[in-house]
Amino acid sequence: MKLLQILIDGFAISSLYGLGAIGFTLIFGVSGVLNLSHGSIMVTAAIAAWVIAGDLGLGPYGGAAGGVAMAVALSLLTYMLVVRPIQTSSRIAREEKEIFVLTGTLLWGIMIQEAIAYLFTSNPKTVRPLIPGVIEILGVRTPMQEILTAVISWVVIGLLWLLVNRTKAGKVLLAASINPRGLTLLGFELPQIYFWVWALYGLLAGIAGLLLGAFLGVSSDNVGQLTASAFSIVVLGGLGSVTGSLIGAYVVGYLETITAYSGGPSIRTIPVLLLLVLVVYIRPQGLLGRR
Amino acid sequence: MTNLLEVSNLTKRFGGLVAVKDMHLSIAGGEILGLIGPNGSGKSTVMKLIMGIERPNAGSVKIDGEEVAGLPSHQIARKGVGIVFQHSRPLHRQTVLENIKLALLPDSLLQLFAAAHIEERAHEIARRVHLHHVINRLPGTLPFADLRRLELARAIARNPKVVLVDEPFAGLTAPEVADFSNLIASFRKDGHAVLLVDHNVRGVANLSDRVLAMYLGEFITEGSADHVMRNETVRRVYLGGALQHHDRATPVNTADELLRVENLSVFYGKAQALDDVSLTVAKGEFVSVVGLNGAGKTTLFNAISALVPSTGVVAFDGGGLDGRSAGQIARAGIVQCPESRELFGDMSVRENLDLGGHHLPDEEAKKQLDWLLDLFPILKSRAGQAARTLSGGEQQMLTIARALMMKPRLLILDEPTLGLAPVILEQLSKALEVLRQTTDITVLLGEQNVTFALPHADRVYVLEHGRFIWEGPPERFATEAGAQFL
Amino acid sequence: MTNRKSFAAIAAVLFALALLPFGVSGYVLGLLTLGFYTAVFAMSWDLLFGFAGEVNFGPSFLIGIGAYTAALLNHYEHWPIWACVVTGGAASIVAGLVLAVPALRLSGPYFGLVTLVAVLMLQNIIVLFAGITGGEIGLDLPDVLSIDDSNNYWIALTFMGISGAILFGLSRSAVGLILQASGQDAMQAAALGFNVTKHKLAAFCISALFSGLSGAMLIFYEGTVSVGTVVDIAVGVQVIIAAVLGGRRTILGAALGAIFLIGAGELLRPLGEASTFVVSAIALVTILFVPGGFLGALLHGEKR
Repeated sequence: MKLLQILIDGFAISSLYGLGAIGFTLIFGVSGVLNLSHGSIMVTAAIAAWVIAGDLGLGPYGGAAGGVAMAVALSLLTYMLVVRPIQTSSRIAREEKEIFVLTGTLLWGIMIQEAIAYLFTSNPKTVRPLIPGVIEILGVRTPMQEILTAVISWVVIGLLWLLVNRTKAGKVLLAASINPRGLTLLGFELPQIYFWVWALYGLLAGIAGLLLGAFLGVSSDNVGQLTASAFSIVVLGGLGSVTGSLIGAYVVGYLETITAYSGGPSIRTIPVLLLLVLVVYIRPQGLLGRR
Repeated sequence: MTNLLEVSNLTKRFGGLVAVKDMHLSIAGGEILGLIGPNGSGKSTVMKLIMGIERPNAGSVKIDGEEVAGLPSHQIARKGVGIVFQHSRPLHRQTVLENIKLALLPDSLLQLFAAAHIEERAHEIARRVHLHHVINRLPGTLPFADLRRLELARAIARNPKVVLVDEPFAGLTAPEVADFSNLIASFRKDGHAVLLVDHNVRGVANLSDRVLAMYLGEFITEGSADHVMRNETVRRVYLGGALQHHDRATPVNTADELLRVENLSVFYGKAQALDDVSLTVAKGEFVSVVGLNGAGKTTLFNAISALVPSTGVVAFDGGGLDGRSAGQIARAGIVQCPESRELFGDMSVRENLDLGGHHLPDEEAKKQLDWLLDLFPILKSRAGQAARTLSGGEQQMLTIARALMMKPRLLILDEPTLGLAPVILEQLSKALEVLRQTTDITVLLGEQNVTFALPHADRVYVLEHGRFIWEGPPERFATEAGAQFL
Repeated sequence: MTNRKSFAAIAAVLFALALLPFGVSGYVLGLLTLGFYTAVFAMSWDLLFGFAGEVNFGPSFLIGIGAYTAALLNHYEHWPIWACVVTGGAASIVAGLVLAVPALRLSGPYFGLVTLVAVLMLQNIIVLFAGITGGEIGLDLPDVLSIDDSNNYWIALTFMGISGAILFGLSRSAVGLILQASGQDAMQAAALGFNVTKHKLAAFCISALFSGLSGAMLIFYEGTVSVGTVVDIAVGVQVIIAAVLGGRRTILGAALGAIFLIGAGELLRPLGEASTFVVSAIALVTILFVPGGFLGALLHGEKR
């Protein structure tokens, strides 16, 4: 019974982790940016949905739509106000851009986190689930929302896969991650491509945040943890590799669930960190990363 | 007399590519050896192998009789090897004096304060390379030649037995070249062994006691500058067998201008890469810009494509291109195939081509694709393969085909022959000739391989040190400008 | 010479700071005391990033090791403070070496990553062994440096002054020059005969030593040690922001940035929860528009 519980819970949480990390890896793959405001964008989506659905009385669907829209808007702002100015600045030496983007997105993330805490307090909030209720799977009582989380995560991941591999626009994204200069030579405008990638990223992070808010609840205090877990997953799987990130998400999700069930929630993240250290030393490019 | 530098059976492979094969060379104290070869011949790799920046796969490097092959760079440096990199890499936040002092410091964690004699010696070296009047300035404020002097100063600071100099005269004016020659000659007088690495014999002939030529990683010949210049293989590598050109079936109307470049200049920091260059290309014309590596061909093309900032006028089809982005220029019809190819390595051949046709309506892209797969049949059989798994020649064809997918009005080809085997050159040559005879496309070709550049040219420009020094029809090239190329 | 002028200016500032306890409240002194220890963290970080070119995302790993080593020795073994502090610094060096020897083989973001993971590991281990370490709540120390605000202030100022002088001196010394060369262009530095790894490792050890010492001093000032004050990622983030804000590669700028951050955070306390928002916004605007940081802008302005 416990085993089945671990299987089900682990699957749902891993799918959610996968969705959260996939946007993070997409941005890194296409534009080389490690966005440390990732957790803030996820939390913003959930809190916005909670406010819109509850205080504004627009219901769970209105809340979901509003939350995702907020995440997209915030993601685009991150790009235009923080990342782009640093990338195009002539006063920052090229070899220092990376640390500046990291510091900049980090500060930006803290600003968002504090703004949320200030406006809505840092108390945990649970977004009203789209489908309430509980069902029993082989004797394990499982909330409908948990199943929905896994289903939506996989539908979105599937759609993303179709977009990247089966559409013209997706091919352009792929090409941008391999060789941006090549695209310029073929008459593409990179700033435009980056704009759309950030919008897409906002969409993914938003949906992930929303599902998290309904599944486990979120608070502005979770921001750092969320960014860190996306970061760990992506490093484990290989920076920039989408498949790697998904595998990483399942490794982390299950490892955490198993640890939590067997050893208690307090040591939940330790095995993951140990694995991460091991991977970074033995295979720094991650499980599926390219050197 | 023993040789200060003795290299034998040196071999280096990068993956499947053999960059250096069984090289041998030796230099005695007080001797200058010129190592020449065209771009991609492996001469820079030889230098890096001696310095320990790359580890050789096999072979021996002896400094004054002591084996150093495989040691890390800093240990080889301490055995007595100094290097002058082609690009100046000073510490930008430190003054000239500090930069020179750095080279004099011992590799110790405990010496917090530089000994007094180091200061003195740094001044002495600065005087020797004529930097004493700028000794307290930051490198960023210095002219290009002074940066090269600084590089030289650092290399000789430790009084190395062997000095390696990469392209000693690139980017320098004639008086500066004379000045540098004297400096390098003074190393010989002091008993150093000097290795000069350059593209052609002419660059190092005056200075070198001996010249060694290599091509595709292998030794060709060694001897006096005259001897090397007379060598059959060297002549074939640089000039091709016999210079030839094809006449067109229908002549081009040269009054009908497509591209006009006026007074174009480009600076990279302090170095002027392009100096007041003007050129025109008529509709349907094939124009070749020939020049050695570093002459400024790539810079010229990048300036036209707005990939680097420039001053001057670039007009295309009557309209100025000022303020347009690189992407807009490409969509307007100027499409470049860069030396570096810039393929999407992990995507298939077909996907690469499709991205080229992205801006065309589907119907038109399909037609263009079919035509190109006929022109380059090899790409058809490789359609599903990832671009990076193609051979060099196939990659080059894919680069050209991908550019042609955009239906360019002006196709710019930058060094398409770089590192390709002769049999591939022939195929490429045929494809170009088909384009020239059967389409109305305009081509601007940059090459150091004159044999490849001439047959397809209606007109030829010769670029040297960022300036055009000759312009004319290909049939006059051999007699008027050919001698420049050895 | 400008060197002499800036030396005089620094001496004047330190002298003025030393006189401060005669004029300001204990509250301000407490704040500055905290600022001084943070300043040493930031200066140590700058030596590693600004000079050796290595981005250490986990300064609080080194700080935390020093602090917890000292705390445990004091709490359980009742070692005297000075012995705890010295051992803390030594422990940081050892931990730094364990971390850096394999990590320096890694390039680019991976080095930063390992340092980040190290912090998370340390944090988890402390929480896991809560029985010994006090876990989330922390551990009270039997000894404190002093119960007098002014004494504490002077101790911190002296410590910062000495650490700053050593770190700054080192950055301007022959070794500092080699370190700069290793950080800016490792290939060139090696071609000039320098063992780049050796120098970077040394920089890591020095950075670790001062981070550890300062962490240990800090907890004996506060009388308690906890994850939130010396290990949490947020602590490390503050150190990095301080150094970037004050001006990288200046050592002294890092100190300036740290004192500013601590001061600004407190000045804005009336804003309540919005204060962190404002401080972060100021920091973000600074790195966007004045990437050289405070001291960078100052020096640049002087040059013009």
